[in-house]
Amino acid sequence: MSQTNLADILERVLDKGIVIAGDIQINLLDVELLTIKLRLLIASVDRAREMGINWWETDATLQGAGSDRELDSGQLERENRELRERLERLERQLGVGDGGSGESSRQGTRASDG
Amino acid sequence: MADGLAPWARKRGPELLARAEAEAVAVLRDALIDAALAERGGGVSTRPPLRQAAPEAAPERDVPSGEGLWAYCVLRAGEPLPDDVQGVHRASALERVKAGGLAAVVSRVPLAEFGAVPLRENLNDLAWLERVARAHEAVLDRALARSTIVPLRLCTIYESEQSVREMLERERESLTRALDALAGHQEWGVKLTADGDRLAEEARSRNQDVAVLEDELGSRTGGGAYMLRRRLERQVREAVDALGADLADQVHAELQDWSSDAVALPPQNPELSRHEGTMLLNGAYLVETDRVDGLRRLVAELEERHRALGASIELTGPWPPYNFLPGGRTAGLA
Repeated sequence: MSQTNLADILERVLDKGIVIAGDIQINLLDVELLTIKLRLLIASVDRAREMGINWWETDATLQGAGSDRELDSGQLERENRELRERLERLERQLGVGDGGSGESSRQGTRASDG
Repeated sequence: MADGLAPWARKRGPELLARAEAEAVAVLRDALIDAALAERGGGVSTRPPLRQAAPEAAPERDVPSGEGLWAYCVLRAGEPLPDDVQGVHRASALERVKAGGLAAVVSRVPLAEFGAVPLRENLNDLAWLERVARAHEAVLDRALARSTIVPLRLCTIYESEQSVREMLERERESLTRALDALAGHQEWGVKLTADGDRLAEEARSRNQDVAVLEDELGSRTGGGAYMLRRRLERQVREAVDALGADLADQVHAELQDWSSDAVALPPQNPELSRHEGTMLLNGAYLVETDRVDGLRRLVAELEERHRALGASIELTGPWPPYNFLPGGRTAGLA
């Protein structure tokens, strides 16, 4: 079975369709935040950077193993990540910052049919 | 996605490391001050000890227990349950909840993971979101293969079967209307990409102003040449954009003519959707099922016709008809 492009799925399941309320209400502010994040996934990264939105840039898991950094930087990276998490906790307590930390996601391609 | 960001990470690596170092130094300094203060007076520190776990952001957060019902889609009560597919929570099978001639396809989900508070956190975790979104879509795909469906948004969750039945009753009119409108139709996605270089080349050769400017540039030197070159660059960029937009309009218009309904979505980000070339069109088309073969032929023909621009057209589907629900939002994300 082919793997469909995640952006294709997300732009549909999250943003489209009849709005029918469920019983579990999600805080609108957070959904807003989510929407902003997903916009970045499927719209313009450049524009987002211009706006100063760059959550994925600080997300270690999104940067993947693709980079050819020195091995001994692993320690610093880990430390950096831990510090970031700590910072996020503090920000959450203060009610600033987005507090969210995305995870890496695989990108697949749906079989082309054309 | 990681691949797309790798060059960026390489570029910013040193800066990030420097920042990490600075942060590490700051933490060390704090720890040393804490230690020194503790040694001198014991508990004089105004700062909580470093090792103490930071209190969780939401102390009121008690993990909810029990189950909710995750709803995937609505179909007519007589339609079969999608089979051979798992829901968003592995342990639960799909069920139908029926009312008013309609049925909602649902599965049980633990509120510890899908209750309002954990859900909010999970939605911001892309790995979780991806898993759930794919599972949700997989159920819709199976349902779609056998029935007309009204797909529901991700995270439409109910507390009880009774609550689902009430929703079906309450929304019966709009749901029935949507099922009627969608019967015998399929949603297909079309993405048009072109080769940036060939697009630029073509735009250059078609644009008179560019040719004039290039001629002029040949006879200029110094500051005048610089200004002229800037103007030429802008001119080319505009010509490329115009050519791309024109190509997208043409393709979209022909596909639209073949379809019952059509919508152009914002092009996707190349870094993250990993397509090659420049995405000029990201369209969704609602097509009568017996016209789908014709759509395939049309797409192949359009691709052939614009081969000179390095055009490539990807056709995907059938999709759950998210983009064509009456009363749904079709404006796109941009």
